[in-house]
Amino acid sequence: MKSVLPAGLTLAALAALALVCPMPHSVLAASTPSIAISVEHATPREIEETTQKVLTRDYATAWQTMTEALDQNRADLLSANFIGTADDKLTATIQEQTKAGLHQHITDHGHSVAAVFYSPEGSAIELHDTAHLQIDVMDGSKVVHTENATVHYVTLLTAAENSWKVRVLEAVPGF
Amino acid sequence: MTKHTEVRVKFGGMMAIAALLMCCFAIATHAAEINVPATITAGSGLTIPSSGTGSATLYVVGPGTAIKRTVQLGQEIQLSADELQNAGRYVISLDGSSATFFVTAGPVQSIAFLARPSRVPADTPNIVTGTAFVFDKYQNLVLQPQPVKFELTVNGQTASRTETTKSGVAFAKLDSSRKEGPAQFVASSGSASVRRVVQEVASDPCSIRMTAVRDKNGILARTDPIHDCAGNPVPDGTIVTFTSTDAKGKSTVDARIKQGIAEAELPASTGATISVASGVVVGNEIQWRGAQ
Repeated sequence: MKSVLPAGLTLAALAALALVCPMPHSVLAASTPSIAISVEHATPREIEETTQKVLTRDYATAWQTMTEALDQNRADLLSANFIGTADDKLTATIQEQTKAGLHQHITDHGHSVAAVFYSPEGSAIELHDTAHLQIDVMDGSKVVHTENATVHYVTLLTAAENSWKVRVLEAVPGF
Repeated sequence: MTKHTEVRVKFGGMMAIAALLMCCFAIATHAAEINVPATITAGSGLTIPSSGTGSATLYVVGPGTAIKRTVQLGQEIQLSADELQNAGRYVISLDGSSATFFVTAGPVQSIAFLARPSRVPADTPNIVTGTAFVFDKYQNLVLQPQPVKFELTVNGQTASRTETTKSGVAFAKLDSSRKEGPAQFVASSGSASVRRVVQEVASDPCSIRMTAVRDKNGILARTDPIHDCAGNPVPDGTIVTFTSTDAKGKSTVDARIKQGIAEAELPASTGATISVASGVVVGNEIQWRGAQ
């Protein structure tokens, strides 16, 4: 009995601490979204199974990273998954959000993705992504816009050293 | 007042309050309506009419843009070309109401061109590939179909093909020319043009012919100048294998082409069969007799 009581107190203290103290970043991080990629219609080169797996992993991670970066206004998160134009434009968005005191909270409900182009030499892949998102535009803690939206994206990824990085990410009215 | 009358009066009052609330809600909804076009072209700016009086906070969030600005209701709201230069989806919120619109790319201004490989054998079909991504002046991918011309020129010979972009990308496969040399590979669309150089080199030898003579250390075997089937000299450094087979066994020498020919010194023999090959091409065979 003696040993149970201090253990119970310790657990209670830890629970109280968890409520008071801010949680570490890794705990707050958005989860990896669900991504379903079909590769049957990719031309002119066929996408190999291994490439499809890596592509799915890297694209999901890119969305997770972007979601966190736009929510926390942290452009430093982007370079691991974004490059070129996409990196530049997302960085600019975050800089402008920071200046205006805004941020975006995106709840990612999943993506239906079709690979439509795989370059003959294997260095670039283009995707058509239909994303289901809840988008909240926040002014500090105040929600100024909220919506559940289905958004279509044209995405271009290029091969980096050991991963695929997003080079272009453009929302479009439709495919 | 009877109980029935009391109930009627209370019910009537509640209806009046409900009607008033609905009326207020309708007015508020009407006042906050935002009229924006569904799509605009990148860098063209936007004027949005507003209604009502007093000031309100305008929010615009899109690719590369996040605006929070106080505006006067009843006046036109201006979004500049700079604020709407990136293609994508924009959210606009004013006075509690929201709308979305898309910015689409303008005319083609630049091309990202992938040309592979950098070195190819001459006279080979569908060996050179070019992939072109077309962008406007704000680096937006141009998604409207655009013609892209691919041209491969070497020593005055040109092979060209025009393809139409699909979702911002076009690609072509072209034959290498019969003559070796540095080929200019150009992709162009509208006013944009990008050039790459593809080195075309001789392909495999077409045939190999050798002769053999006695020298002081044995037999000297030497090829004639080696060309591919289009007449291009096979590059120096290409390996040519000479083989001599006699009663004692087999001797093999790998020699590199120097200044168009290859030669090798083989062991002396009174009777041997000497052969020559490079890659998959086999040359002539010589029956060596000691007296030669």
